[in-house]
Amino acid sequence: MNEHTYKQFDAEMEEIRSGVMAMGGLVETQLARAIASLRQPDLDQIDAVAADEQAINQMQVNIDQQCTQIIARRQPTAIDLRMVLTTVKIVNELERIGDEIKKIAYKAQQMQRPEGLSTVRLHEITRAAELAEDNLQLALDSFARLDVGAAAQVVSNDEAIDAAFLAILRQLISYMMEDPRTITPALEIVFIAKSIERIGDHAKNIVENVVHVVKGKDVRHATAEEIRAQLGQ
Amino acid sequence: MYSIWWRGLMAPLAVAAVAVIAGALEGLAAALVVVAAGAVAIVAWQLWQLAALTRWARGDIEAPVPEGRGVWALAYAALYRRVRMRSARQRDLRLALDRFVSGAEALPEGVVVLDRSDRVEWANPRAEAHLGLDLERDAGAPIVNLVRQPAFISYLSRGDFSEPVVVQSTRETSTTLSIQIVPFGVEERLLMSRDITRLEAVARMRRDFIANVSHELKTPLTVLAGFIETLSDVDLDERQRQRCLALMQDQAKSMQRLVADLLALSALESEQSPAHESEFAVVPLLLAVSADAKALSAGKHEITLTIGDAANVLGGRDELASAFGNLVSNAVRYTPEGGRIALDWRVTPEGGEFSVSDNGIGIATEHIPRLTERFYRVDRSRSRATGGTGLGLAIVKHVLIRHQAELVVDSEPGKGSRFTVRLPARRVKVVREPAEQTSTSKSAAAS
Repeated sequence: MNEHTYKQFDAEMEEIRSGVMAMGGLVETQLARAIASLRQPDLDQIDAVAADEQAINQMQVNIDQQCTQIIARRQPTAIDLRMVLTTVKIVNELERIGDEIKKIAYKAQQMQRPEGLSTVRLHEITRAAELAEDNLQLALDSFARLDVGAAAQVVSNDEAIDAAFLAILRQLISYMMEDPRTITPALEIVFIAKSIERIGDHAKNIVENVVHVVKGKDVRHATAEEIRAQLGQ
Repeated sequence: MYSIWWRGLMAPLAVAAVAVIAGALEGLAAALVVVAAGAVAIVAWQLWQLAALTRWARGDIEAPVPEGRGVWALAYAALYRRVRMRSARQRDLRLALDRFVSGAEALPEGVVVLDRSDRVEWANPRAEAHLGLDLERDAGAPIVNLVRQPAFISYLSRGDFSEPVVVQSTRETSTTLSIQIVPFGVEERLLMSRDITRLEAVARMRRDFIANVSHELKTPLTVLAGFIETLSDVDLDERQRQRCLALMQDQAKSMQRLVADLLALSALESEQSPAHESEFAVVPLLLAVSADAKALSAGKHEITLTIGDAANVLGGRDELASAFGNLVSNAVRYTPEGGRIALDWRVTPEGGEFSVSDNGIGIATEHIPRLTERFYRVDRSRSRATGGTGLGLAIVKHVLIRHQAELVVDSEPGKGSRFTVRLPARRVKVVREPAEQTSTSKSAAAS
C-alpha cells in the first residue's frame, strides 16, 4: 500500500466518524427532548422525537454501509480495522439509545399523573435521566477525541444509574402495595426508568468500545476500579 | 572600516617583521620558514574562527553570539547588534500579539477560529466553556465532532451565515447559545458564541405572562358569558336568578381583583422609588393589617399580633400596607381552619422585621425560589378556590425591592411557613421604649 491509499483511508474514516458524531448529536438532542417531556409533556416535542427517530435509523443504515465499503475497498488492518469495527458497534448502540428515547417520550405522553405519586418519583427519574445524559455526552466526547480519560467516570455513573433504578423500583413497589390504584402509573414509570437504565448501559458500551480501539484492551464487563487499574489512571 | 584593516593586518605585519629579523640573523631560508609558518598559523586561526561562526549560525536560534577575537571581534559585535535589534523587535511584536490574544480571550463572547475544513485552531476560554472544548486537547479536531447539535451541523453545512443559530448547550444544562459563523481571511471562519439564556428567559416570561393573564381573565369571563346566556334564554324563578347573579358577582369581583393587581404591579414596575415616601408610625399599620386578617379569616384561625418596638418607618405607607396585607392574607388562605397565624414586628440592629408565621400546609423547597413569579402557583386548584390572583407575592417582591428590603421564606411541607420582611436600618426609627402589646383573637368559629 502506498501513502496515497493511507490518506484515502484516513479521509474516508474521518468522514464516517463525523457522521457518527452527527448521529450522536441528534441522539443527545432527542434525549434532552425526552427529559423535557418528562418534566412537562409537550406534544410537539414528542412528535419531533418520533420523526427524528426515523432519521437516526437512516443514519445507522448509511454509516453501516460506509463501513462495509471501506472494509471492502481499503482492506484495513490492525488499528484501522479495529476503528471500523468499533464504529459499527457504536452506531448500533446509538440506534438502540434512540429506540429507548422514543419509548420514554411515548410513555411520558401517556402517563397519568395522580397526585402524590408521580411528582415525587418523576423528580428522581429526571435526575437519573440527567445522569444518563451526562454519560452519553462523555461517551461521545471520548469517541470524538479518542481519549479514554472519562471511561472510568462513565462506568461509575452507570453504576449510579443502576442503583437509582433499583431504588425507584423499590419505592414504586411500596406505593403499589399501599394503593392498588397506583399500579398502572407506577408500571409506566418502571418502563421509563428501565429505558433510562438501558441508555446508561449503552453509553457504557460505547466507551468500552472506544477503550478497545484506543488502548487495544477489552474492558467489557469490568468495574470502574478495574478500568482505572487497566488504564493506569 | 579603517580599524578592520588595521586589526586585520596586524598579524601579517607581525609575521613579516619576525621574518625580516630572522632573515637578517639567519638568512633567507629562515625568513621563508617564518613566513610559511606564520601564513599557516594565520589561515588556521581564521578557519577556526569561521568554523565557530558557522557552528553558531547553524545552532540554536536563541544561542548568544560568541565573542570573536582580533578582526573577528568587530564582525561579531556588528552581528550581536543585529541580533539584539531583531529580538527587541520580536519582543515588541510578541507583546502586540499577546495583547490581541488577551483581548480576544477577555471578550464576553466565545470565539473559535476554524480552519478551512472546520477544525478548531484556537478558542478563547469563554468559547471553551460554552462549547465544552479544551484547546490543548481539541486543537485540530473537527468542530462538528464536539458541537454535535443537529441545528448547528446543518447551519454550518448550509453556508448561509447571515443569521445566528440558536442551540441548547448540552454542556451546561439549560443554557441557550446563539452561535454565528463569520468568514474571514482565506476560507477561514470565526465562530462566535453568545449565552442568551437570560434573554430567552425574559422572552419566555413575557410569553407566559400574556398567556397567563389571558387565561386568568378567560375563566371568569366564560362563566359570566354562560350565566348571561342562561339569564336571557331561560325563564328562571327568583331564587335561581339570585343565585346566578351572586355567582356572576363573584366572577366579576375576581376579575376586578386581577385587574387591580395587574395595575398595581405595573405601577410598581414603572417607577424606581415609592411615590409618596414619608415617615409613618408602623403600629397603626400593623393593627390595621391584623384587623383585615381577622376579617378575612372570619374567626376560623387564631391570629396573634406581637409588636416588639414601636417604630416609625420611612417609605410608602400604602405600598407596605399592601405588601404586609398580601403576606397575611396568604397565610389566612393557606392555613386550614383552626390553625394559628402569628404576626410579629421587631426592631433588630439590622433594621425592622415583620414576619408572618403559620402552621398551615407549608411549601416544598423546590417551589420557594419561584414563589414570587407572577402567576406561579404551587397548587393551582387550591389557589384559585381561595380567590388568589397569583400576583400577590409578585407585588410583595416589587414593593420590597423599592424599599431595599428583602423577603425571606422558611417553610416545611406539613409544618407551616414563615414569611419575613426585612427592612433596612435606615428606614426604621424606634420611637419609644419597647412596649409589649399583644392582641389575640381566639377562634370563635363554630364546629
